[in-house]
Amino acid sequence: MTWLVGLCLLPAAGWGVFLFGTPALIVLAVSIAAAILAELASTLPFGRFTLRDGSAFLTGFIVGLLMPAGAPACVPAAASAFAILVVKQSFGGLGRNWMNPAMGGVVFALLSWPGPMSQWIAPKGGAVQGAVMPPLEALRAAMAGPGAKETTPLAILSSSGFTFSDLDSQVLGWINTHVFSPMGISLPPGTFDVLIGHVAGGIGIVSVPLLMLGAWFLLFRGIIRWHLPVMYLGTFAILAAVFGGLGSGNGWFAGGPGFHLFSGSLVLGAFFVAPDPVTSPMTNKGKCIFGIGLGTLTFFLRFFGSLGDGVAASIVLGNCAAPLLDRWTSRRVTGTQGGAA
Amino acid sequence: MSWAAIILTFALVDNVILSRLLGVWPAAGARGGMRAAAGVGGFMAVLMAGSAVGGWALDSQVLVPLGFTLLRTPAFVFLVASLALALQAFNGRFLPSFLRVTGVSIPEIGINTAGLGLVLIATRGEYSAPESLVAGLAAGAGYFLVTAMMTAIRERLEVEPVPRALKGFPLQLITAGLMAYAFMAFDRAFLARVLGG
Amino acid sequence: MKSEDPPALLFLGLCPAIAVSVRVIDALWMSAGVMLVLLLSGLAMELLSRESSGNEARHSFDRGSPAARWMRALVVTSFLTASFEAGLLALAPAASAALGIYAPLIAVNCLVLGRGMPGTHNLPTRRTVVGLLGRGIGFAASLVAIALVREALGAGTITLFALGGFGGTIVIPMLVEQPLRALGFAGGGLLCLGYLVAVSRAISRRAAANPAGGEAAQ
Repeated sequence: MTWLVGLCLLPAAGWGVFLFGTPALIVLAVSIAAAILAELASTLPFGRFTLRDGSAFLTGFIVGLLMPAGAPACVPAAASAFAILVVKQSFGGLGRNWMNPAMGGVVFALLSWPGPMSQWIAPKGGAVQGAVMPPLEALRAAMAGPGAKETTPLAILSSSGFTFSDLDSQVLGWINTHVFSPMGISLPPGTFDVLIGHVAGGIGIVSVPLLMLGAWFLLFRGIIRWHLPVMYLGTFAILAAVFGGLGSGNGWFAGGPGFHLFSGSLVLGAFFVAPDPVTSPMTNKGKCIFGIGLGTLTFFLRFFGSLGDGVAASIVLGNCAAPLLDRWTSRRVTGTQGGAA
Repeated sequence: MSWAAIILTFALVDNVILSRLLGVWPAAGARGGMRAAAGVGGFMAVLMAGSAVGGWALDSQVLVPLGFTLLRTPAFVFLVASLALALQAFNGRFLPSFLRVTGVSIPEIGINTAGLGLVLIATRGEYSAPESLVAGLAAGAGYFLVTAMMTAIRERLEVEPVPRALKGFPLQLITAGLMAYAFMAFDRAFLARVLGG
Repeated sequence: MKSEDPPALLFLGLCPAIAVSVRVIDALWMSAGVMLVLLLSGLAMELLSRESSGNEARHSFDRGSPAARWMRALVVTSFLTASFEAGLLALAPAASAALGIYAPLIAVNCLVLGRGMPGTHNLPTRRTVVGLLGRGIGFAASLVAIALVREALGAGTITLFALGGFGGTIVIPMLVEQPLRALGFAGGGLLCLGYLVAVSRAISRRAAANPAGGEAAQ
């Protein structure tokens, strides 16, 4: 099952390797190798061999997918090692960790190396002017500065001098003239790039459509249930739509939820990480509350926080509260206490 | 600082346990189930609020006017200790089940750095009386929240086989450490941005 | 784990002190303060119980409520701590600023570390001193070890006293460029303490198992 989740992430990873080239491959290899080595080092001395369950591989894989392709090798290695040794094996290994190991490792890396964690590489065929940044980072930088008086995220990006690829302008030009101009609307520049993930960013999170493909397979096979991701993305989208424009002075209902859903690690987090059965609540009711909480946290941390795009941080915070949620939402009696409080 | 800033600072940004490392022992070393944890958390919350206000009164009305600022430490230690004893006595008289459930003993509550630490923070930050009270209550709420989360996690771990050397207190410390990293998402920049716009 | 056995007391006392284990120098000052106040307060308590003389008085002392005994310890340690704070402020204002609110907390640390020592048992003075010294050294060693790990890995430096040509800071070449900054945050302190407790437990368990020939430790 774990292997299947990894398989569903492969298309997105392949796209990242295609876009960012060899550095991306190196980062992925280093993070997976570090996770496997850490797993071996912490289980073999006790006579256990746990690689076959695939969880160490998946942890390393997800850590690597969230890294920028330009990160020096020590960063993914340390993040994966921290994830396995401290977050997982200290508590006794798979199924006993209360925090998602990959997210713990990523948060550790974000706290430790904010600089290397934003060493982005320009995507193949993308326009490069000045510093390479994912659109989300550029948007946050533009919104922190003065004069971001446009109404949508993409318009803010354009007016702040962020450029998209030639492919984007060609495709959008064709679509706008042939499809949308008769209807009197036109798609802003950048729509195509953001939609297909032809931008700088974490290796495995730029391509939302390919992630959705994998997620759809997981949902179809019943490996994850819809409650948590739908609640998570829905809450986030509503909050972003309603309040997201306040920061840039555009007032209510001007947040541009579409842009935010398609940038950052939101989709990967919502479908592949947050529903992790070990670290999320067990009941459907608990999952719904958990998803709403994650959506709210991600909204706040993305628009006001400084720890990456807010997804890893909110999942980790959600993990802290998940056992408490379980107590409230399930009848199951745990621990030494006689009855539910 | 505005009220909202004080509340968010003391409850989340500078959480007593996770950021200031005060009162770690009652939270991490606690035994028993969720009711005991709630008891300890509530006890500490009341103690912290009381200490903060008492510390303000003691410092600004007695020590500073009289010029006894060198005696701050003994005065505050006494204040917190007597508050803890008074609370303990109150509990023993009116809530006897509390003692049975929490098993909190005099040394354990007296040796509590959270109350003393909060007095020191509030007086050094030169908060007014209502500000001290709000800070104390917010810190208490943050303490309560973290204790509840840690207890729920501990209860889950109790049914799982964990590495022997790490079982119990060390694992609670590691849990608290990971929670502290998670709570670092709420940093000062976050606070400034949320309240600024 | 019972809160009365010495290692537990040690770690209980360490909990708030790890806040000042971000730099080695601060940990050294903190340890100095704790050892000083611990020893002096132990001696003072010992003298106090001698002064009140007579075996009868000693007995009534011991039979007195734990709260009274505890209050007496409170007086002694808190005043000694205040003296240490004043001295530190006069001699090393930078260290005083670095310790911040954790300097007054030395009083609480010493109350914890000295628990069960003076005034409660009829120990001769020398035994009291040796016992307290042992706890003080244990505290200092643990705190400085944590500080060494946190500063060396978390900042890539080791800050000590400036002496002559030595500027006071050792810089570790590779690490200083990409240190594991997270270890320097509060969470890093909690993690380090957690693993330290685990290591000390594993060692003591092994030590207990070996001479006794495989007797279960717990």
